Formats: sequence, C-alpha cells, structure tokens
Amino acid sequence: MKIVVAYKWAPNPQDAVVATTGEVDLSRAKPAVSEYDPVAFELARRLADATGGEVVGLTVGGPSIDTPLSRKAALSRGLDRLVVVADAELEDADGTRIATVLAAAVRAIGDVDLVLAGDSSIDVAQGQVPLTLAGVLGWLGLAAVSAVTAADGGLVVERSLPGGTTVVAVPTPAVLAATADAVVPRVAGMKDILGAAKKPVEVLDLAALDVPAPGATLATLATAKPAGGERTATIFDGSSPAGAAAQLVGALRQAGAL
Amino acid sequence: MNSAQSWIVVADDTAASGLVDLARSVGDEVVAVVAGRREVASSLASAVDRVLWLGEPDQAPVEAYGPAVAAVVAQATPRTVIGATSPGGRALLGAVAAALRVPVLAGVSALEADGDQVVVTRSVLGGIAEHRTAVQGGTTVVAVDPGGAVAGDGDLAPLEELAVTPLAATVTEVRPAAVAGADLGGARTVVGVGRGLKAREDVALVSDLAAALGGELACSRPLAEGVDWLPKERYIGISGQHIAPDLYLALGISGQLQHMVGVRGAKVIVAVNSDKNAPVFSQCDFGVVGDMYEVVPALTAALGTGS
Ligand SMILES: Cc1cc2nc3c(=O)[nH]c(=O)nc-3n(C[C@H](O)[C@H](O)[C@H](O)COP(=O)(O)OP(=O)(O)OC[C@H]3O[C@@H](n4cnc5c(N)ncnc54)[C@H](O)[C@@H]3O)c2cc1C
Ligand SMILES: Nc1ncnc2c1ncn2[C@@H]1O[C@H](COP(=O)(O)O)[C@@H](O)[C@H]1O
Repeated sequence: MKIVVAYKWAPNPQDAVVATTGEVDLSRAKPAVSEYDPVAFELARRLADATGGEVVGLTVGGPSIDTPLSRKAALSRGLDRLVVVADAELEDADGTRIATVLAAAVRAIGDVDLVLAGDSSIDVAQGQVPLTLAGVLGWLGLAAVSAVTAADGGLVVERSLPGGTTVVAVPTPAVLAATADAVVPRVAGMKDILGAAKKPVEVLDLAALDVPAPGATLATLATAKPAGGERTATIFDGSSPAGAAAQLVGALRQAGAL
Repeated sequence: MNSAQSWIVVADDTAASGLVDLARSVGDEVVAVVAGRREVASSLASAVDRVLWLGEPDQAPVEAYGPAVAAVVAQATPRTVIGATSPGGRALLGAVAAALRVPVLAGVSALEADGDQVVVTRSVLGGIAEHRTAVQGGTTVVAVDPGGAVAGDGDLAPLEELAVTPLAATVTEVRPAAVAGADLGGARTVVGVGRGLKAREDVALVSDLAAALGGELACSRPLAEGVDWLPKERYIGISGQHIAPDLYLALGISGQLQHMVGVRGAKVIVAVNSDKNAPVFSQCDFGVVGDMYEVVPALTAALGTGS
C-alpha cells in the first residue's frame, strides 16, 4: 500500500506575541512538526509494515518549511521519503489553497492508496485541511479515526465519534485524519536521526503542479485582541495550604464567585 | 452568486440551531441540504424555507455524501454556506469548499452581508487574535458549533428528495458510548484538572472539591485523551468544550492557550499550580502557588467548614 502522510511544519501560537491591536508576531515561535501529526506518521508506518508498502511524507507551505532541520524532523519519524512544495506564494495560504496544492502533489506522486493526516494543526487548529483535500480529490474523507487496518480490497477504520465507536469498511483510495490519541508515536532515536539524512527528498515546483486558481480571496479588514485572555492575578502562597485556602475562599466570597 | 440565499449543510444531526440562526442573520431565504436520516430533514422543515434531502443513508457514513452535497451547493452558488464543526460537518464543508475553491472559516462569532461580499468576525490561531475578514469574489463557507435542537415556526417546508449516490463505504458496527454527556455548559462552577494529577485514583481528590463547590468536574485534553482518566466530553479547550461559568478552577493545568481559550468567558478564574512561572498565572484572577495535593484538600475543608 502506498501511503502519503500530510503533515504541517508550523509554529506554536502559544509563543506568539500579540499586540493590543491584535497584530500577531510569530517570529519568536519556533516551528516544528505540528503536535499531533506524528500520530499519523506512526499509523502509516504500522500499516505500511503490515501490508508491505511505502510511506511518503508530504508538506506544503512557504519557503521556511523546507530546511535541513525540518527535513530531518520529518524523515526521522518512520517515513521512507519526503515530498515538499515550498513557495512564497503559499505563505499564509488558506486551508483550501493548501488542500488544493496537497491534492495536486498527491496526484503527482501517483498511485496513492491512502492519505493520512493529523487531527488538527497547532496553529490553525480547524481539522479542516484533510477533509477539504478529500473533497478536491473526490475521495472519501473521514476524521476522528482511532484505528486503521487493511482488509481485502480496502481498509477497516475505527472512529471515535460522540455517539460511540464506529467501524467503517472503506475502499481505497481515501483520506483519513487520526485522533490525537490513536497511537503513541515512536520517539526518534539516534539511528533514526542519522538514517534520515540518507532518505530521498523530492521538491515539487508549485508552478509545475496543476493547481486551479482560488475562487475567492480573503481580506483582513481589522484585527483585535480578544478580551478575557489576560487577567491580573492575586497570588496566595500555598506553602501554608490551610492559610492559602482560607484566603482564597474569603476572596472568592468577596468577589461573589461562591 | 445568489445573494439572497444562505445554505446550511447538515450532517445527520438534529442539533443544528446554530447553523439556522447564523444563516438567518445573513440570508432572506435559508435552504438546508441534509445528508442523513429523514427525521433530521423533517426536524428542519419548520425552521428553514427549503429542505433538500439526499435520501436514507442506510449504512453509508455521512461523509460519503460529500460529493453529492458539493454538487447541489455548487449549482446554486449561494452567498453563504454554513455547516457544523463536527467531523461529518467538516467533511461536507470540505467537499463544498473544494468544489467552489473557497476557504472554510471557523471560530466565527458573526456574519454581516454586504452585497455579494460577506464580512466574518472570527478568532484565529487558537484564539489569540480576532479578525474581521471579508470574503471577496466567491461564496463564504463557515464552520460553527451546531448548537441545540432546532425550534421551528410551525410552517412546514416540504422535503424535496434528491436521488444521489453516496461514495462507497459501509458502517459495519456502532458501539454506543458508555458515559452520558456532561452538562458543563450549564454549570455555574467548573473544576478543571490537568497533568498535575499523578494517578487515576487521585481524581477523587478533585471530585471532592467539585462536590463541595456544587460544581462539575472537567479536565485538560491530556487527561481525557492519551490517559482516559476522565471522559472526552469533559475536556475543555479549542478542540473540547467552551464554557463560561461564574467560577473556573484550573488545578495542575499549565495554561496552554489551547486549553485557556475554552474558559475565556469565565467570570472568575482560579489557578493552583506548583510552578510559580506557569502561564496560567497570567490568565487567572486568583492563584495559589503550591502543591495541589495539599491545597485542594485544604480548599475542600475550608469550604466544608464555611470559614
Ligand atoms: C491542535 C491542538 C489542540 C489542542 N486542544 C486542546 C484542548 O482543547 N484542550 C486542552 O486542554 N488542551 C489542548 N491541547 C493540548 C495543549 O496544548 C496542552 O498540551 C494541554 O492543555 C496541557 O495540559 P495540562 O495543562 O494538563 O498539562 P501540562 O502542560 O503538562 O501542565 C501540567 C501542570 O501541572 C503542574 N503541576 C505538576 N504537579 C503539580 C502539583 N503537584 N500541584 C500543582 N501543580 C502541579 C505543572 O507545573 C504544570 O504547569 C491541544 C493541542 C493542540 C496542538
Ligand atoms: N500545510 C500543510 N501541509 C501538509 N499537511 C497539512 C498542512 N496543513 C494541514 N495539514 C494536515 O491537516 C491536518 C489538520 O490541519 P488543520 O486543518 O490546519 O487543523 C494537520 O494535522 C496535517 O496533517
């Protein structure tokens, strides 16, 4: 089975500096493989090992997503090879644009049976890109996937949905987005990190891919910093637990919170 | 583009009031396209102007209707399309967005129509900033929380049944969830616990405090996923519940933004954390720097004695 893992090289907005105007400065936020995407790497590796197949990493974005560090970070996590589309035009691209480029890359890779993705990215956090990708490809796209195994001619997929666990028989090709806790991803060892340098990386040129033009554009009219995010705390010293508890209960009564 | 129309795409869920309300705010005519059971389509008939029903899904998952929903919506090209943030809702929206080649916006708090253009107020990057964004040149597609069950005006729109073929996929088994959903949304007081908790048995420590406060128990994501010490319905944050109680206590929770965005609306936030530099202390009203294993029982006791 030929499996593509779509993963994102993204900054953690926790480390962003947000001005009172709502302007976001991400320059201090170091990018990394998005927090839950290693779950997709691990699911892909296990499935490929069970079926005899190949795992191809795929990421798209601005030029900063393709560095020696970013390549190694992905390739040390159980991939066989990597495909990257990095272009200034994709800096700050919306999710549908990203999905459209991912779809073109999946077609360029060719004969793909399955695309696996993470639950949601650490920065955008919409859980939307894999499902839009499925839409572009015309394939079935399922999120909330907690387990996947191969069966004759297709896949058996377990989903963790609000109504309970659901099992679905899915023919390939398909796009599946994993839950955050579907499997525990392996930790890259020294051997994986050294091995990563020898694995092939293919850079696809955005201009050479068959990507249709967007049907709408977004214009930011105004930005603001949301209320309620920052509060000034009255701090009590808990080294005397009973004293701190009494002080806190008093303060909460006074604030009308009890 | 059809400026008078707002469409909602419904993924087999009778809880769609959030979609209907938002659609009404920007459209004179609201059209629902329903991928799901007849009862879901019927429940919408008195709340919207037209209901397009794609037929009984039998064993097909709702996601199998993505291409069919996209084709119907693309033909009408309404000014606005609204769907749910649930897995099925996002799949239908993804198919629509792909067909129209337009973005899907989430975290939406308001829509304003202005001719062919729609202005969206939404939170971005996990809630650290708020944007007013104009969608220009194409349909505005948004994902919102589905809300509760739909209340209609009694005027029934007839179901228009469309014959479509879903993608091949079969639901072979459903194992219903054992635990009932918790009503965190309605609780005045919520006690949240995080990875400061060392063992499953210690949940009792926190539930005792919740009982003393007459509040509901909640948690950060790692306690509900990864280790399942508390049910998934009880975790708070960007991918869990959003709550706005009078009082929220964050016990052994570091205060990562993905968690805190879920309690931004709380009137009073209390944090207990052993690390005085934990980010939660800049996002709370009262903080206790200390070991929750000592502070929490002391707090329970202090409440019990009414001191
Ligand atoms: C896309 C995405 C979505 C996410 N969505 C959510 C979400 O919806 N909700 C959510 O909660 N998280 C979410 N997360 C995870 C989030 O980023 C954090 O990892 C998580 O909230 C951390 O949980 P925590 O505070 O319990 O654990 P930690 O960050 O590990 O913090 C534990 C805290 O406990 C303190 N502590 C330890 N021992 C004690 C003690 N004895 N007494 C007192 N304090 C103690 C420590 O000082 C520390 O501050 C998401 C992440 C991503 C990438
Ligand atoms: N730029 C990207 N390149 C490759 N995969 C992506 C990209 N953005 C998102 N994804 C995948 O889609 C998942 C959900 O992302 P999002 O829709 O941004 O929450 C991520 O966990 C990745 O697996």
